[in-house]
Amino acid sequence: MDLINVENIRFEDKISRLFTPARTVFSLGPVNFDLQAGETLAIIGDNGSGKSLLAKLLVGLETPSSGKILLNGLALSTAHHKQKCHDIRMIFQNSTGSLNPGITVGAMLEEPLILNTELNVQERLSKIDNTLRLVGLLDDHKFFYRHMLSDGQKQRVALAKALILDPKVIVADEPFAALDPSVRSQTVNLLMGLQRDLGLGFIFISHNLGIVRHVADKILVMENGAVIESGKTDVIFNWPKEDYTKRLIETHQQLVNSQYN
Amino acid sequence: MILLDVKNLTLELELAGEWVKALDKINLVINQGQIHALVGESGSGKSLIVKAIVGALPNKRWKITADRMNWRGQDLLSMSVQKRREIVKSDISVIFQNPINSLDPLLNLGDQLKQSINIAALPKHLFWQRNQYKNRRVEELLHRVGIKNHERFLKTYPHQIPSNLLQKFMVAMALASDPKLIIADDPTRGMEVTSKAQILRLLSRVNQVKDTSILFVSHDLLAISSMSHCMTVLYSGQTVETGELQQLRKRAYHPYTQALLDSAPSFRKDLPPKSPLTTLAGTIPTLHHLPIGCRLGPRCPRARKECVVTPSPRKIHGHYYSCHYPLHWAGR
Ligand SMILES: Nc1ncnc2c1ncn2[C@@H]1O[C@H](COP(=O)(O)OP(=O)(O)OP(=O)(O)O)[C@@H](O)[C@H]1O
Ligand code: SF4
Ligand SMILES: [Mg+2]
Repeated sequence: MDLINVENIRFEDKISRLFTPARTVFSLGPVNFDLQAGETLAIIGDNGSGKSLLAKLLVGLETPSSGKILLNGLALSTAHHKQKCHDIRMIFQNSTGSLNPGITVGAMLEEPLILNTELNVQERLSKIDNTLRLVGLLDDHKFFYRHMLSDGQKQRVALAKALILDPKVIVADEPFAALDPSVRSQTVNLLMGLQRDLGLGFIFISHNLGIVRHVADKILVMENGAVIESGKTDVIFNWPKEDYTKRLIETHQQLVNSQYN
Repeated sequence: MILLDVKNLTLELELAGEWVKALDKINLVINQGQIHALVGESGSGKSLIVKAIVGALPNKRWKITADRMNWRGQDLLSMSVQKRREIVKSDISVIFQNPINSLDPLLNLGDQLKQSINIAALPKHLFWQRNQYKNRRVEELLHRVGIKNHERFLKTYPHQIPSNLLQKFMVAMALASDPKLIIADDPTRGMEVTSKAQILRLLSRVNQVKDTSILFVSHDLLAISSMSHCMTVLYSGQTVETGELQQLRKRAYHPYTQALLDSAPSFRKDLPPKSPLTTLAGTIPTLHHLPIGCRLGPRCPRARKECVVTPSPRKIHGHYYSCHYPLHWAGR
């Protein structure tokens, strides 16, 4: 059975606060894809093509105007919103901004546990310690405040925050863009490891086609709110069909090839 | 010919009552006609180097020292502020990291571009054609950077323009004064691949057609190695390795350079999909907690106790590195 199944979801923005005022309506979709446990899907496309909006639809921050999202074969509707929050979690584009500066890492991680689980204090603490260790941090980091963390550590805390409720899928908006090369490799390795160990599904948005090619099993290409092409990573990279995709891949390939002359 | 020659540039600033070296003995040589890449992680001091070169740091809070900092043979540090400003204005253009911050929000783009046009090429007796000449140059520059619809574009203000277009405009601004050196501080950060490729092509073309040197500051290795001749690698305010790009790619001596090269999956043709990437543990130290000696020490897999002494640069075939236990050097 598929871990996640997205069937024909659409979204229409009538108020148009998401994009330029010149455009009165932005419509997204239809979007269709499925993902198995442990698989990775990358979403690529220009700025403003609707990638971040799609991510928000998947985690339930926006509600699709039609279509279905199935998790393990069960439809997620707004009625199941709470379950959806647990099972599909998001890491935001700017992890610094999404970490509360006034509370410790421990308190930040405890919040969702208090709100969503029946765990007692002891159980919550051990859950926090385990999750910190899972993302390569130390138990002691729960006493840290945001300003005491390096960029890489902030990214790990954001990941810990996403993982604390044992989700099945993680959705990330440009998780690597703000990271430096060595920290970026660490984060990539960490995520691939978690997928192997926990069977986590991973959906991410990225401009970095080098990373996309390395970690994604499947790719979804978006242009002006529509999915124009999707498929297995090496199929998309070797036999892109649409002009836009061809241009993107070709440009990337030229950059890569210019390395060897 | 050597345009810029910086030796042992050290920059100290006061942090909580203590002076720390944000830059520690930086060396950098840029030749005429070369594209020189300056690579390093966020906070490694790239932008500080740029600011120190063009004199954009206020003297009060910073102590700047150097054995030399020469621009075409003239010492920038010992000359008058006035003279230095003139040299920088006529010879060097900087494309700063944040285009929106370096433009005047109250002036339309056309006026800003016109102000930076160099009219030296216009014969003196034709001074009355100055305006016409400027308009022609503006049009030509926008055309060169691939901005269409230039009449409408020139009437707009910086905040009305998307950032990738603004970055192209910054390149046009940089070209307007016919500089000998363009310093581009991370001009492609956060861009999607097609806009990025456009900017890179543009800079390469300027370099080839006009023989303009470029200091290309970035940590995007794919971008860097598609166009650069030389590369200087910076780690936490220290230059760790410098040399021709191809040589560095083939044989890096410094463990950090190697880690950097390994971090880009596109660099490695033989890398199976989803295999773990090689990387260094930990992160770059903050200025409050700088390690003594080689600053890579706490993260370096090759570190030994000698590494608490700062390694001095060593040279092999025009390629410098600063490391006590370099890679490919088992014989010592
Ligand atoms: N005005 C300032 N006051 C105090 N510290 C500063 C100042 N400007 C820079 N620094 C510090 O100096 C170090 C180098 O900063 P710099 O801006 O040169 O980094 P960078 O290599 O350009 O990084 P990035 O890739 O993020 O642009 C950093 O640790 C930074 O915090
Ligand atoms: S000097 Fe020592 S710590 Fe520094 S890079 Fe070389 S081996 Fe590593
Ligand atoms: Mg900078």
